[in-house]
Amino acid sequence: MIKVFFRWTGLVVLLYILQTTIVPLITVFGIKPDLLVLVLFYIGFKNDVIPAVFAGFFLGLTQDFYSPVILGQNALSKTVAGFFAGVFNEKVMRIDPIFQLILLLLIFVIHDAVFFAVEMFKTDTPIQAIGVEMVSSTLPRALYTLFFALIPAFREYFFPSGGRR
Amino acid sequence: MYWIFHFIVAHRRVFSLLLTSLVSLLLITAPPVKQAAVLRFLSMTVFFPLQAVTSRTMKIRNIFAENRRLKREVIRLSTTVAQLKDESYENKRLRDMLNFTPKFTYDFLPVRVIAYDPSPAQKSIVVSAGEKERVTMWMPVVDESGVVGKVVQVMHHISLVQLLKDPSNRTGVLFRRTGAIGILETENGRDFFVRCRDHEPIEIGDTAVTSGLGGIYPRGLTVGIVRRIDTIRDPLFKRVMLALTVNFDHLEELFVLRMSSQWGAFRTELDSIEFSDD
Repeated sequence: MIKVFFRWTGLVVLLYILQTTIVPLITVFGIKPDLLVLVLFYIGFKNDVIPAVFAGFFLGLTQDFYSPVILGQNALSKTVAGFFAGVFNEKVMRIDPIFQLILLLLIFVIHDAVFFAVEMFKTDTPIQAIGVEMVSSTLPRALYTLFFALIPAFREYFFPSGGRR
Repeated sequence: MYWIFHFIVAHRRVFSLLLTSLVSLLLITAPPVKQAAVLRFLSMTVFFPLQAVTSRTMKIRNIFAENRRLKREVIRLSTTVAQLKDESYENKRLRDMLNFTPKFTYDFLPVRVIAYDPSPAQKSIVVSAGEKERVTMWMPVVDESGVVGKVVQVMHHISLVQLLKDPSNRTGVLFRRTGAIGILETENGRDFFVRCRDHEPIEIGDTAVTSGLGGIYPRGLTVGIVRRIDTIRDPLFKRVMLALTVNFDHLEELFVLRMSSQWGAFRTELDSIEFSDD
């Protein structure tokens, strides 16, 4: 259990460093992949709802700590995203890599929906602007991240690690 | 009480979500002062180890940016060096073609200031080198900022240096950008000016260097920077006011330019020539 905790913590720290150093260098038309949502998805995918919820909360809180535009905004959106990642893990079949990618896309939509809902609540942004932002930012970002998600997905497909199911 | 605990354990997933969401919502709705207090608390407890990692990460980012900037700078400087080398070769070739004599050479003799002129105007200083150190009359004295003055009297181990700020001193100067020449003058040892023709395109900030025409200083030693241009006093000439680059209040370590004598060596004879009016 402790070994698993430290392994995931190490992976999260590594991806956080990559997200703040390497990822800005591979930005395309202002769109950059979100490796933190990706790792959150895999925490929910490989573990359970509760680890995913708390991982999402602390990961989001860390983001809020270092860029506190609205303190708690990332914490809430990643908590909800982690919860649904864990729930999808339990309720739906998760062997098919294509289906995994669709679920990841859905997690992105949920994450950004909560994120923008908080923004709308705090800054009185009109809902139309939020809708435009969801289409112009969320979907390209999710698709870009899917490219990186293919790496572990294919690894899992060709070299299955023997998960719980 | 037990059933509450049992209920929470039974629905721990939903309660986990509710608990973390509730904390997040409290953070979102908290006033800025409380948010700042929470951030302070987090920085001193939970995120303290992460601070070290983040600061190193930021350093890596800075190193990447610095590396890119330095690469651009290296390319720019390499281009400049190549261009200057090319011009240097061309200069040498043209000098050879014109049979130009090479520029005179000199060496720097480090000296210390051992005495100041006690007068308020402070026109001269005494430095710690003389005949024994092969110092001769009219040798220029400089520091790292520019021209200090010239040797006017030599003894065994000491020399008297007339400072540039001495009102009786006259120094030929040249404005580096325009090539205009003039004579540096002062009336009170504080305000320095050069009389130039009114049409000379001299601007504030231009650098004045020694012209090399006086026979004492070699060409190109920094003298001062143009501070103001006064055109009111004379319709034909303008006074270009200079700020000298040397700080005469803090002279300690200086250099005597031991150079082979120019026609400045005949200065005494030149000064003794009497011109008749006819």
